[in-house]
Amino acid sequence: MLEIKCPYCGKRSQNEFSYGGDATIKRPQLGEEISTEDWDNFVYYRDNPRGKHSELWHHVSGCRQWFKVSRDTATHEIFDTCKMNEDFNV
Amino acid sequence: MQKYSVFSLVKNAFTNHENWEVAWKDPEPKKEYDVIIVGGGGHGLATAYYLAKEHGITNVAILEKGWIGGGNVGRNTTILRSNYMFDSNAHFYEFGMKLWETLSQELNYNVMYSPRGIINLAHSDAQMNAYARRGNSMRLNGIDAILLGRDDLKKMIPFADFSETCRFPIHGGLMQPRGGTARHDAVAWGYARQADSMGVDIIQNCEVTGFDVNNGKIEGVQTSRGNIKTKKVGLCVAGSTTLLADMLNMRLPIEAHVLQACVSEPVKPLLHNVVTFGAGHFYCSQSDKGEMVMGGDLDGYNSYAQRGNMPMIQHVLTGGLAVFPNFSRLKMLRTWGGIMDMSMDGSPIIDKTHIEGVYLNCGWCYGGFKATPSSGFVFAHTIAQDQVHELNSDFNLERFHTGKIIDEKGVGPKPWIG
Amino acid sequence: MSNSFRATNSTGLINKDKKINFTFNGTIYHGYEGDTLASALIANGVHLVGRSFKYHRPRGFLGVGVEEPNAMVQLHDGNKSEPNIIATEVELVEGLKAKSQNCWPSVQFDIGEINNVLNRFFPAGFYYKTFMWPKSFWMKIYEPFIRKAAGMGKAPLLPDPDRYEHNYEHCDVLVVGSGPSGLASALAAAKNGARVILAEDKPNFGGSLLTDEVTIGNMSGKEWASDTISQLKSMPNVILKKRSQVFGYYDHNMTVMIERVSDHIENPSKYTPRQRLHYIRAGEVIVSTGSIERPISFGNNDRPGIVLASAAKEYMKVYETLVGKKPIIFTNNDTAYSTALEFIKNDIEPIIVDTRDSSNGELVKEVQQKGISIKFNSGIADTKGHLKINSAIIGKLDSSKESFISEETVECDCICMSGGWTPTVHLSSQAGNKLKFNDDIDAFVPDKKRQKETAIGAANGSFTLNQSLAEGFQVGFDLSNKFTDQNNPTNSPNSNEPSYEKHEKLWCMPLPSGKKPKRFIDFQNDVAVSDVELAIREGFRSIEHVKRYTTLGMAGDQGKTSNLNGLQYVSKIEKKIVPEVGHTTFRPPYTPVTIGAIVGREVGNHYLPTRKSPIHTWHEENNAVFVAAGLWQRPRYYPRGSEDMNSAVNREAANVRKNVGICDVTTLGKIDIKGPDAPEFLNRVYTNAWLKLPVGKARYGVMLREDGMVFDDGTTSRLSENHFHMTTTTAQAANVLSHLEYYLQVVWPDLDVNVLSTTEQWSGIAVAGPKSRDLLSKLFPDVDMSNEGLPFMGLVDSSIDGIKARIYRISFSGELAYEVNVESNYGLYIWKKIMEEGQSFDIQPYGTEALSTLRIEMGHVAGAELDGRTIPFDVGLNSMVSQKKDFIGKRSLSKDAFTESDRQTIVGLVPLDKKTKIPEGSHIIEDNSAVAPIPKLGHVSSSCWSVEYNNPFSIAIIKDGKNKIGKNLYAVSPLKDISIPVEVVSSHYVDPEGTRVRS
Repeated sequence: MLEIKCPYCGKRSQNEFSYGGDATIKRPQLGEEISTEDWDNFVYYRDNPRGKHSELWHHVSGCRQWFKVSRDTATHEIFDTCKMNEDFNV
Repeated sequence: MQKYSVFSLVKNAFTNHENWEVAWKDPEPKKEYDVIIVGGGGHGLATAYYLAKEHGITNVAILEKGWIGGGNVGRNTTILRSNYMFDSNAHFYEFGMKLWETLSQELNYNVMYSPRGIINLAHSDAQMNAYARRGNSMRLNGIDAILLGRDDLKKMIPFADFSETCRFPIHGGLMQPRGGTARHDAVAWGYARQADSMGVDIIQNCEVTGFDVNNGKIEGVQTSRGNIKTKKVGLCVAGSTTLLADMLNMRLPIEAHVLQACVSEPVKPLLHNVVTFGAGHFYCSQSDKGEMVMGGDLDGYNSYAQRGNMPMIQHVLTGGLAVFPNFSRLKMLRTWGGIMDMSMDGSPIIDKTHIEGVYLNCGWCYGGFKATPSSGFVFAHTIAQDQVHELNSDFNLERFHTGKIIDEKGVGPKPWIG
Repeated sequence: MSNSFRATNSTGLINKDKKINFTFNGTIYHGYEGDTLASALIANGVHLVGRSFKYHRPRGFLGVGVEEPNAMVQLHDGNKSEPNIIATEVELVEGLKAKSQNCWPSVQFDIGEINNVLNRFFPAGFYYKTFMWPKSFWMKIYEPFIRKAAGMGKAPLLPDPDRYEHNYEHCDVLVVGSGPSGLASALAAAKNGARVILAEDKPNFGGSLLTDEVTIGNMSGKEWASDTISQLKSMPNVILKKRSQVFGYYDHNMTVMIERVSDHIENPSKYTPRQRLHYIRAGEVIVSTGSIERPISFGNNDRPGIVLASAAKEYMKVYETLVGKKPIIFTNNDTAYSTALEFIKNDIEPIIVDTRDSSNGELVKEVQQKGISIKFNSGIADTKGHLKINSAIIGKLDSSKESFISEETVECDCICMSGGWTPTVHLSSQAGNKLKFNDDIDAFVPDKKRQKETAIGAANGSFTLNQSLAEGFQVGFDLSNKFTDQNNPTNSPNSNEPSYEKHEKLWCMPLPSGKKPKRFIDFQNDVAVSDVELAIREGFRSIEHVKRYTTLGMAGDQGKTSNLNGLQYVSKIEKKIVPEVGHTTFRPPYTPVTIGAIVGREVGNHYLPTRKSPIHTWHEENNAVFVAAGLWQRPRYYPRGSEDMNSAVNREAANVRKNVGICDVTTLGKIDIKGPDAPEFLNRVYTNAWLKLPVGKARYGVMLREDGMVFDDGTTSRLSENHFHMTTTTAQAANVLSHLEYYLQVVWPDLDVNVLSTTEQWSGIAVAGPKSRDLLSKLFPDVDMSNEGLPFMGLVDSSIDGIKARIYRISFSGELAYEVNVESNYGLYIWKKIMEEGQSFDIQPYGTEALSTLRIEMGHVAGAELDGRTIPFDVGLNSMVSQKKDFIGKRSLSKDAFTESDRQTIVGLVPLDKKTKIPEGSHIIEDNSAVAPIPKLGHVSSSCWSVEYNNPFSIAIIKDGKNKIGKNLYAVSPLKDISIPVEVVSSHYVDPEGTRVRS
């Protein structure tokens, strides 16, 4: 069971959280003229590295905040977590 | 090639089994091949076999990073079925079911195809309706499906919890009688042995490290055992697809996730069918060895680790005891994990790519094992003819742009949601 | 012969004052407190315990603990019956019942042994080569036969009567294993102030100190162990757990431990769990799991009476039991000589067979001094004795040790073998440690760690006591120092133990001349040396291929005694060094774990929580039949007298159309939305316009996923300028909240909006039907309920009996209708109040079925239509899609496939005979006589009996739906062998203009 440090609440076991996938995806601006390809990139295409992965988690059974986690997809090691408006330190 | 049969077995018994030939050779890679298949798993081996058998292309190499059959073909829960709702899936998997039925004979290798029936349990009328929608669709597509009532099920799985007061009482179920299981390792080995006998080079411990692409055309692959020239490359590396695609600057609608499975200790025959629980993530069949083979859902976060964590095992077994409370005193013997190529609509991709001569076979999600024969068959066709087969024409990359997605679960592009 | 195999030299841990009776294969025996089933059977001279998996060969005990591959039994009867229990792990308890498994009719005479006679026809992987002809025979004859022959014990058929618990622990240092290094590290860590958990799998702490003749400080090893445990017990920062096995090492230093709580207690309290599963998140894990002795492969090395030398010693020293009285010790190293000495202490002279040319180890000398001659440069070639060993063929090895020069037959009643020791590296490997091969001990040891895991002692390949203790004290101190600031080291005491000479690298004996007996490597799965040879001959050269082809190491013992010997043999054939061959993966669990324990208390009705509305008791009292809606229990209908479901539902629905009905809609998701940007947020979330919704008004909204599929729908009301109340479907309540939070926190953090679930804060009561206005007017006399006072989609706050209530004029039924919301605690009171006042208006409660009927007739979509695969156009919601503004998912709606005009869209269906109800899940086809594969136009999503028209009506989603209206098609359900001619009509079957809701 992963141990995830919620930037608001501290370390908690994985079963308090839900996963939100690739954190590098940027939603296009509302009303923006955008090609089908760019739009589909946003909807369907993901970073899928073996190694360091920037991802979203949601503290659903806690403070209900979404935040960012930098995690190794091969070892599951968590390098850092931070609030949405922050950047990772490592 | 030696023919396997009860006679050859008896004959060899009297020479202490010292005259059996190797099932496949261990060749050095040649400088050039007509086709290179990357990935010595079930799909890669099957593709090579059908390239040789159906298209006469035998100057083929399978490049395997580790040992053949070590990925998902050796890590799945061995279930075969074609109980799909959408036509594209139904026709493709049903074609596969027909290949399974004669595969042991075709490969001269007993893959232990065992049509013991797959039952999806339903726990509400709404669920029965959803299953009826799928079952009717199957029947209209010419696939076997029957509805089962509580009384039918009581005869088939009498030890399941049929009490009216349990948390999610069993209402009934949908069954595909021809669904079942096969021996996973045998599938890989059977295809390998036949492909080898027709001239395919199976090259193990050979990792692909790069591709030579010039003017939009593939010219060769770089490997840990040297560069090899070719004009056609088929990628059959579900679980690691995006790692290779990255080398080709291809971005794919795929995420890697770990799916765990576990087995109990072997017990005498008890569960004849494959059973899926409808009010949680749990399915189970009993292997010929006697083990209860159990699985459920993804661990739920991107992962390339071929191992999982306890919460999902606990979650799956909790579902297991909800339907089979007598399993409580059985013991869990072994757990393991495999890496799934989770595509964004839950359906596979078998297609040509923007690079001439590079073909893609990926996105199998939870369901790659049962597709081994049909996937190999249509992928061999796609490579040999440089044109998709009718059966994989909907499994294209373009669907994520056109909107013709094939979403059996209806959860959208979030593969971690069960 | 009762207990005739008890040791005379009694220094063990059994209590001979307490006799314990037990039954094995129907015979009553007795043992003593402290015995295991294994030691008690051996003490009674019983070695034949079971039959092997494949060849049904007679098998006894190889080991004394978790490593045991053979001695599996079926325990107890009925609902407590348990298969595949290792007899060495069962503590004796009064009345224990055990029997042999995988044999028929009895363990002495087992028909299945024919497999052994024919074993030359059943080499590794034989089943891949045969059973293929004729094709139909596989499923009917071959496979059932194979299944029946395999499988070991029998699963119980009844639910488990016992209970299992879970516990979550945190500690600084978890020490796994209480041998010398484990005790030392636990003591050092605890004295340094760390919070320590010490876990021991066995019923006694001490590990090898219980059997080894050593001294630590001025005490014997055993005394030192007991003294250390006393010290640890007295410390508040230490948790000691025996009968507790850490079986899994997962990510982020989470380990899982299984504790056997009550199986060893004669009459445990009803509330004592049988087992307890501990999730332990440790700061550091010390793996002091010791080592397991390796067997040696030789002809017929699996007969009952052939045991590991260390097991024989432990049976003598801990259980005061003799595995035999005419022993042969067979070894390639010095450690087995301690077993020889223990026999000598019991006045038994062993025959010693040593593969080495000589040894000057202290124990060897001691044995020689006792006048025992040692057959050096010798090995066991073969054994005899069908159900129990009675003699061994001992051979003199030639200089290459590849064959025997001469052979002699020697009588014996047991062989105690030792092939050296394998560190128990499972947990380290599970933790991600890349193991390395240690040439000195010919085994893998932990190397590069990935998690906070440190192996010490024998588990780390440190086989001397001095080294184990030193590592233990040092590591215990070092690691604890990460958590405390006491900096208080504990010095390692002096210790004394015999010196050992090196083992010989020889684990497989040559075959005896002229014979080819099976030389087993994996006992439980019946994998012999010849199977490994065959696998490699056939090209299965990777160690993983060898494992899978031969099934080596895949049995219940997971290769604890066989993996390394298998590897060694592969490396010999392949002429590769062992590290080149590599090892197979160590997967959790270390030993099989009871599934009930993994599941814990979430069984039966506790499988998942049950959610009930505050009005639930009223529904129960009023004969409601409930239906599961996710976790919720909702009233489905309220039958009266002998009414069946259809008549009840029709009555309830018709009463809504005619009079007034009341329905509990508490389960709908409710979300409170506040903030100055709330209107803008809703405008982005919903497909329709929200900026101009006036205060005091509700609006229906549809939300999409980014891929354009309808995600959810519901009404949202503006309570004040910056305050909205959103409702969601019951099914999507939690997902919608997460969705909103995602957009507010991740995508548009600049929006000043807060959302909060209020689902459980409100009770919702729908009051629907033409008489609902009159009823509500009576209930809320101070509210102007007129169409002008409270128009459709209006809302008003009021109260009844001082209880605040909010009244929405919204309708799902398509009738004039209201929804009354009150704080949850008052839900039941208000419901009763409405029922009471409603009597004069002929009010009736209606359940989810009538609710469905009413919405289907009206063509309102619900979960069956919004199945995650439909866009607004498909379900008739295109008018809800704003062309003027952007919103979540809008861009996807312009995809090619989403703009095709002949997409499957929503329609109504009426059977031509106006009688036959169309089953949900039917498909719509044009040609009733077509053969498969038959093109499908679409499917029936919802069906009801229209109470308005008194005939069946269904909603379907079919290709080019709009242009099919008026046409006749077929609704077919091949599953039910039904084909119904239907007419396609509008999905708005009743009141398509919506005059009633606005009346």
